[in-house]
Amino acid sequence: MKERITDTMRNFFIVVTLINAAMLVLGAILRPDQQFGYEAFAYPIIYGFITSIPGLFMGTSKEMSVAQAVIREIIQLMLIIVALLVIMFGGNIANKDNIIPAISVTVSVIIVFVLVNLISWGLDKRTAEKMTADLEAYQRKNMNF
Amino acid sequence: MEIRILKIDETKNEYIEIGCHKTDTRVQDIVRFIKNRQGSIEAVREEQHYQLPITDIYYIEAVDDKTFIYLKGDCFETRKRLYEFEELLSGREFGRISKSVLVNLMKISSIKPALNGRFMCILKNGEKVIISRKYVSDIKEMLKGEKV
Repeated sequence: MKERITDTMRNFFIVVTLINAAMLVLGAILRPDQQFGYEAFAYPIIYGFITSIPGLFMGTSKEMSVAQAVIREIIQLMLIIVALLVIMFGGNIANKDNIIPAISVTVSVIIVFVLVNLISWGLDKRTAEKMTADLEAYQRKNMNF
Repeated sequence: MEIRILKIDETKNEYIEIGCHKTDTRVQDIVRFIKNRQGSIEAVREEQHYQLPITDIYYIEAVDDKTFIYLKGDCFETRKRLYEFEELLSGREFGRISKSVLVNLMKISSIKPALNGRFMCILKNGEKVIISRKYVSDIKEMLKGEKV
């Protein structure tokens, strides 16, 4: 559980940053004249919190293969999209005026989700390279002396 | 340090003796090296009993109530539990990488990222085993020599 919380926290901060960027881009395209109050600063945090919830409760004690982990990520993405659409539009998703914003939100969520995973992957790749370098030094040391 | 090799009769047990002024880290390193290169584990395959040299083991895996020992291309079953192997092989070149796997660090060729903060060990025989998030920091410490 500890690892899951640490992971969720790390992803939360990446998600909040990326939601900020997504809101900037979407807002500039869909509603460039929209005015906001200070409460607008809270939205990325609220959405970041909502998107973190499925990750917290989708853990398993079983060790997953990479393919299983990918499927888990896809299910998590779908849950996040549903949660955000329900919170943002309630029962009015089918409303004509909401279709384009709903599609935009869905596309943004997918982009943010993919970016979060890419950033995490990049960080893990650096760690893996460092571990491989340490492993080679460890093996040299244990072979030679 | 002078090195002497003495051939003895096959009826006698082989031994290694170190003559030193004090047991410093250099002597402890030699002892660890020798310990790492000896010993075998009893295992079974198709009702035949085998003594497997510890240095030939790639990884040990617990599946349900059974424990399996994997060599380069062979798999053997053993009666011992994984935690017993963990105790038996502590101080050697083996590390726990998940709840069910103990890997020989000398048999890993590289480490790659897997999803969700986990890592994948590519073994020298091409097999892949996952390092769980929980064990990543322990393995990092072992590789840096901070943990035995």
